Amino acid sequence: MTDVHILGVGMTRFGKHPESDATDLGSAALREAITDAAIDPRALEAVYVGHVFQGMVTGQRILAQVGLAGLPLANVENACSSGATAIREASLAIRAGENDVVIAIGTEHLTNKFSGALTPDPSDPEAAVGATMPGIYAMRARRYMEEFGMTREQLAAIPVKNKANAARNPLAHFRKEITIKDVLESRPIADPLNLHDCSPVTDGAAAVILMSDTAAQKYANGRAVRLAASTLRSGSVDVEPTSMTYEPLTWETAREAYEKSGIGPDEVDFAEVHDCFSIAEVLRVEGLGLFEQGSYPWAVERGEANIDGRLPINPSGGLLGKGHPLGGTGVAQVVELVRQLRGEAGDRQIEGARVGLAHCRGGKAVGIEGAACTVQILIR
Amino acid sequence: MTAAAIGASFRPNELEVRPDGSGNLLGSLCRSCGAHFFPIREACAGCLSEDLKTVRFATEGTLYTYTIVRQSTPAFEVPYALGYVDLPEGVRIMGQITGVEFSDISIGMPMVLVLEPFGTSEAGDALTGYRFRPADVTSD
Ligand SMILES: [Zn+2]
Repeated sequence: MTDVHILGVGMTRFGKHPESDATDLGSAALREAITDAAIDPRALEAVYVGHVFQGMVTGQRILAQVGLAGLPLANVENACSSGATAIREASLAIRAGENDVVIAIGTEHLTNKFSGALTPDPSDPEAAVGATMPGIYAMRARRYMEEFGMTREQLAAIPVKNKANAARNPLAHFRKEITIKDVLESRPIADPLNLHDCSPVTDGAAAVILMSDTAAQKYANGRAVRLAASTLRSGSVDVEPTSMTYEPLTWETAREAYEKSGIGPDEVDFAEVHDCFSIAEVLRVEGLGLFEQGSYPWAVERGEANIDGRLPINPSGGLLGKGHPLGGTGVAQVVELVRQLRGEAGDRQIEGARVGLAHCRGGKAVGIEGAACTVQILIR
Repeated sequence: MTAAAIGASFRPNELEVRPDGSGNLLGSLCRSCGAHFFPIREACAGCLSEDLKTVRFATEGTLYTYTIVRQSTPAFEVPYALGYVDLPEGVRIMGQITGVEFSDISIGMPMVLVLEPFGTSEAGDALTGYRFRPADVTSD
């Protein structure tokens, strides 16, 4: 079976794009990825497009805009893991031998659709009693503080770190460093979380081109990065109440990726994880086995997760700093991994990075502790 | 509360409201393995049995965690307290918390289900929903 390689990445600036829509953003990311790969657009054989709130056939609208309509295409919705799921589908098409060159795109235009708190689908019993996504993560934060003694200041250090990284990322939504005091004094959203603990409503798109061994030999010139594993799981229904401070779904998705890639958590050099809220970064990195349960807030205090630390987490700025255009998020994480692994990450370059991991997780339904989770492991 | 004051359940599949003002959350019991689920399911996530029975859950539980929601959708007036309550059947139920100052809420508190007015139907009739209040606070 062929390996899967990534050659060609593109990403729009994340932020507010009042002049364009999800089609424009997706088209721009696609064009940049094709240019970056230095391939003829006609080399593309199939397309997967992740988006959540952009309506029917957004992918086809993108292809029509760039003159590529007619290719096999699937639109993919998997909540915040939509873009990452598109990458996984593209990788499966290549591993199956069906295609040699496939593009995965994630795009979302949210600022014209939402302001304020996202909620589960309105039909959900928890949405009916007032659940909001910040509210659910706030409850997890409260429980984590109770169980492990994390302080509010320790939690605030996570957005401080990620926004400092974002300040070094020209494509990030936020470019300004903040202090712990800024976090504590920002508008309360759901206690203990304030505005700076929450990822923003963002427009943006990203694209990556995946290739088989054969295509990579033809086009790569040594610039390709290997996608060693791309795993997906959906959340299970709890038979009894389980801990909300540990994520079995994240661990199971990661465990499969570690097995498939032959890379253990101790061999990961850096990670982009789904920090939709400050507490989420804690739960993700501990669920992934990158840090021991109950230890991460103290590791952040010691600087271990900084760009120059032992195990940098979210060097791009993460969802908190770079922004969170739902469908675009998972693809943008992989763009960051590729740029870091190629040594093209500019001011936020991690020295000597060889193995990167990306994790997405999103969606909520009653009784399900997370709807869709993906893990990707890239090796230079 | 008089019978006349009780509106219909805001979600009849999940909350039974009886004419005398009493009510229970509804869920499923797996007759095969004994697991309970909220809301009602068609098959057991533990053993895949389809031999499920609809049951009324106990009205007392323990607060697992909580928050004060200060930004929500237009359907809900903020701020409000929201929590997860673990019931003895082994289900965890989200609900708003009532009858207590925000600053007096704490993890591990014993809680009790209360039925309260909860929005209106499309026709404009008052509906009954549920909240939880600390068990040691008397209702007024
Ligand atoms: Zn069963």
